[in-house]
Amino acid sequence: MSLFSSDHKAVARRYLWSGLGFLLLGGVLALLIRWQWALPGQPVPGLAWALPESHGALTPPSYTAVFTMHGLIMIFFAVTPLLFGALGHFVLPLAIGARGLAFPRLSALGYQVYAVGGVLVLASFGVRLGPASAGWTAYPPLSTPAFTPGLGQTLVTVAVLCAAASAFLYGLNFVVTVVRCRAPGMTWGRLPLTVWGLFFASVLNVLFVPVLAAATALLLMDRLLGTQFFIAGAAAVGGGGDPVVYQHLFWLFGHPEVYILILPAWGMVGDFVAFFSRRPAHGYRLTAGAMGAVTALSGLVYAHHLFTSGMSPLLGRAFMVLTLIISLPAQVMFLNWLMTLWRGSVRLTSPMLAALGTMVVFGLGGITGLALGAVATDVPLHGTLWVVGHFHLTMGAASFLAVFAGLYFWFPKMYGRAMHEGLAKAHVLSSAVLFLGVFGGQLAAGYAGQLRRLYDPYQYTYLKHLLALNQWTTVFAFLLGAVQVLFVVNLVWTLRRGRAAEQNPWEVGTLEWTSALSPPPEGNFATVPVVLRGPHALSQPEVLERLGRDWIGQAEPLPEPASSEADDALGSVSTVGGAT
Amino acid sequence: MSPLPSGAEDTAALREVGAALPGNGGAGLHGAPEVGAALPDETPSPGRGDTLPDGAARPESGLVPPGSAPTVAAGLTPDAPRDAWTLALPEDASTHGHRIDALLGWSHRFDAVLVAIALGWLVFAVWRFRGARRVASDGGTRRSRAWVLGLALGAFVVVDGTLLLGSHAYLRDVLWNFHVPAEDPRTVRIEVNAHQWSWEARYAGEDGRFGTPDDVVTWNDLRVPVGVPVWVQLVSTDVVHGFSLPHFRVKLDAIPGRVNQTWFQAAREGTWEVACYQHCGTSHYKMRGLLHVMSPESYAAWLHEAGRQAVQAHDENDSAARWGWEWKAP
Repeated sequence: MSLFSSDHKAVARRYLWSGLGFLLLGGVLALLIRWQWALPGQPVPGLAWALPESHGALTPPSYTAVFTMHGLIMIFFAVTPLLFGALGHFVLPLAIGARGLAFPRLSALGYQVYAVGGVLVLASFGVRLGPASAGWTAYPPLSTPAFTPGLGQTLVTVAVLCAAASAFLYGLNFVVTVVRCRAPGMTWGRLPLTVWGLFFASVLNVLFVPVLAAATALLLMDRLLGTQFFIAGAAAVGGGGDPVVYQHLFWLFGHPEVYILILPAWGMVGDFVAFFSRRPAHGYRLTAGAMGAVTALSGLVYAHHLFTSGMSPLLGRAFMVLTLIISLPAQVMFLNWLMTLWRGSVRLTSPMLAALGTMVVFGLGGITGLALGAVATDVPLHGTLWVVGHFHLTMGAASFLAVFAGLYFWFPKMYGRAMHEGLAKAHVLSSAVLFLGVFGGQLAAGYAGQLRRLYDPYQYTYLKHLLALNQWTTVFAFLLGAVQVLFVVNLVWTLRRGRAAEQNPWEVGTLEWTSALSPPPEGNFATVPVVLRGPHALSQPEVLERLGRDWIGQAEPLPEPASSEADDALGSVSTVGGAT
Repeated sequence: MSPLPSGAEDTAALREVGAALPGNGGAGLHGAPEVGAALPDETPSPGRGDTLPDGAARPESGLVPPGSAPTVAAGLTPDAPRDAWTLALPEDASTHGHRIDALLGWSHRFDAVLVAIALGWLVFAVWRFRGARRVASDGGTRRSRAWVLGLALGAFVVVDGTLLLGSHAYLRDVLWNFHVPAEDPRTVRIEVNAHQWSWEARYAGEDGRFGTPDDVVTWNDLRVPVGVPVWVQLVSTDVVHGFSLPHFRVKLDAIPGRVNQTWFQAAREGTWEVACYQHCGTSHYKMRGLLHVMSPESYAAWLHEAGRQAVQAHDENDSAARWGWEWKAP
């Protein structure tokens, strides 16, 4: 498929490679931050070419740029594009039996816009005064030219606008595709949970990404045109605007973004736990409903990010209640996953290990968020590494492991080759354990009071004793970086000389495995499948009996029972499908 | 932008006053109103540097070498050094912080129980049902789904309910209850102006009114008496800053164009750190101040002397020095 193909699978591969590239870059930036906290002001080996004045040591300006770019790149250019751009683009049409996305050229355009944004981000590293440095949230007035004059901040702001445009485009595309392009018989109740997750997250993209675009566009006008939407106080020349308006806009996007990143992960976990427990997902409707409830609530909880901004106590109380309520559907979903495992037949394949790892890190991340949802307990923890550890577990580790669960699961379908299971298992297992080490260390440091984003936390006497803890956390972080080599080796090896994948290596019934070739040709299906059952028809007794296997395709007709037994057991059913 | 000239004079004035301040918890200075009474010989602690309100020479001075034990005991150093693996909240030096700490403690107990149950269940299920031969072929029964809903609801009511009620009680009684500082005649009021990268604090002086010649201005050096409500109104000159007193469980944004307010009450004398928790530019990490909690007598003595010197240094034409505002009525 050519570079300009608008086939959804080709677009998905472009997102995959770009996303993996930015994941690598964001990861290296994260390691620089960790280096600085373990060995403050010590030269980083091999970085002298970039920072000649300090012989490779991070300086306060380079450090602020590093943590700003780490956050921006990971969220807008790595994890979101991998989840939606790569996995979403690839799986969604196949899983609902569509020949492609509703607007193929729009999805190709979406990638191009994202690519432009990516180029701008990379370019910002090369301009005078360096890349953006106002934090990934880019709170004004710090992010206005009065305090961050460099061209880099402007380039990155435009880049975020590009990422937002692309996210809006595929969000819209996915919503329309799921609503309009499902195969005959693919009712809402037969959608794989992955599709539910992608669908709800796409709805959030459509609703809330424009809010980010608005905030970013206004900020850009403040930067370029001399407007003062967000400048107040002594820095404002005229009447002045209000920096808090930006914070409201930003978090009205920023909090749903958490769910944009985690909903596809939840969907995949739901599916994979069912597939590899060889039984239907427990409480399918409850799980889909819980995802819907989280989607509906996600825009109503955002102001817990502003508990310490001095907002009205009335608002604080209301947002505290709403924030705590959103934990209820998450618990329902989690318990459903556990119930699916129960009385199943668990197979620890690499996607399953990654899904279980996602459950663990997401569970820990979710629980550590409770204390941040109530105003009083949020106060001591606000702005500390506790918050950082919490959202890295949910948005970082959980999304990352879900991306790799999906990648290991669908790779045979994407490239027609089977990845090495042993390497894949070692990769996801070691990643999950090391994530717990890194972000557990952050939670501990944050609980002891370490504030975020400090170039040298040990300037504060009350944080000096945390040096040893931070050094251990850094060791885990570097190990985490190192074990990613397992993935790279696996990927390169598989693409070069991996064996051809079987048609349905995981023995599941969803359409991409049972109705399409590997890899699927343009147009996906020889004939559009007619869907007969839900996505988790696993270990059904009549299928076992008639086909001798524990799975059946979503569009696969169940053959007639052998005549002698059928008359006793299923006499009435046999007349229904009696035509053949 | 900032009233540097006058601020600098104030600083110089305060340095003298600061040198005269009690080094060891005020014990030596109760009822010693004559400032300038020579103290240096009495407490030659290296921690003495802390009291210098001058931002430049500050950062290293917060540390007291292990040798100078007496000052540590008296709480002169910000937060006595901790063992490397002490993972607890910063020491609580406020009269209300224990309520937040207790609530957090409950939250962690709940967290631990939930994690133990969920992880235990996960691990046991994987171990018990790995490759099992008999598989339930249904997506749950009415009964099992009811269990899921019931368990989720039960955990939600207990865990989230405790947090909600506890938090609400704290908000009602302390965090958002400005009746306490408003109705207490002893309340100390401070106007704090956050800059890149320092904390400028303004005291009304003995006349109790802001915007008069005896207003006392300090840099990175807050002084409050022990045991009385301290009412802080907070602004920012340039970007968004985060005013935090980790040992007093206080955190509040300083936002250009608004006046935010909070209050706290110190439980004991000593010196603690003021930190900025919102990213505010390259030197964000150096935006560190000290909070000295003093005995009421030494606080009064300090305020008297600092006010006297402020009046002496007062320059009628320097309008920038008078950035304070009329205190908003509660």
